[in-house]
Amino acid sequence: MDDSDEALMARVARGDERAFRELARRHVPAMLGLARRILGNAADAEDVAQEAMLRVWTQAPRWQPLAALRTWLSRVVVNLCLDRKRKAQWVELEAAGEIKDPAPLAGDSAETAERERLLAAAVAELPARQRAAIVLSYTEGMSNAQVAEVLDTTVSAVETLLVRGKQNLRRALAQVIEE
Amino acid sequence: MIDNEFDRLLESALKRRAPQRDEAAVNRVLNRLAAPLPRQRAALWRWPTVLLDWQFAPAWPRMAALGASLAVGFVIGISGLDRGIDHAGSSAANLDLGSLVFEPETLTGERP
Repeated sequence: MDDSDEALMARVARGDERAFRELARRHVPAMLGLARRILGNAADAEDVAQEAMLRVWTQAPRWQPLAALRTWLSRVVVNLCLDRKRKAQWVELEAAGEIKDPAPLAGDSAETAERERLLAAAVAELPARQRAAIVLSYTEGMSNAQVAEVLDTTVSAVETLLVRGKQNLRRALAQVIEE
Repeated sequence: MIDNEFDRLLESALKRRAPQRDEAAVNRVLNRLAAPLPRQRAALWRWPTVLLDWQFAPAWPRMAALGASLAVGFVIGISGLDRGIDHAGSSAANLDLGSLVFEPETLTGERP
């Protein structure tokens, strides 16, 4: 049996709950991670991931495979995160109690670790769409075209968001970087 | 710092500090999705395809439509609603062409 995302979505569109739960098992971890990176809040990320999958279920009969399901899901998650940001105050990544990578990289130095910590904190302070573009591009590894599809905008707009985001980050870290 | 170095620093900072997969959170979300699901929104353009779906699952909407069509046809036939149409058709078919072409005789009223 074909268990590609498109095949499962076709079954979900016909009301197949087992196919939906298989899709959820497949995509919830990635959606949860993306939402946590954008929101910086674990509890809100769970709500967003749940809401995104419920939208998959309710809108499955109308979904057309014009883009990969993963791209569509990412767009839903990003939009839900941006809506939440408009409504609620963001929590800093540090205060959210995120699970940090316990294993330091080989050859890592305290200075590099400090720069990375400050950089991650500065990303949390970016405007919502710049932050989303930075996370999608640098953490999810998406191309500018894919990021444009997720953010429902043009490639040139994504490039502008990335340039401005990095300018803001450089400005925030100017003193540390130039040392 | 040049652009490439900054990009590498940004990428490593975000990936290093990215949240690791949280199995407990994933299971919580999946458990919430196990609850009864809301109704799906059917696409309007799909309505005609419902009649063309040969899988017959579920069958009751199609069987109900077929039954209703049979009942309506039976009622129309029994009540004779269709007979008016038949009579109109037969009276037109029995007309003589001469009656259409020639005027009746003034004395006898008959047609040639």
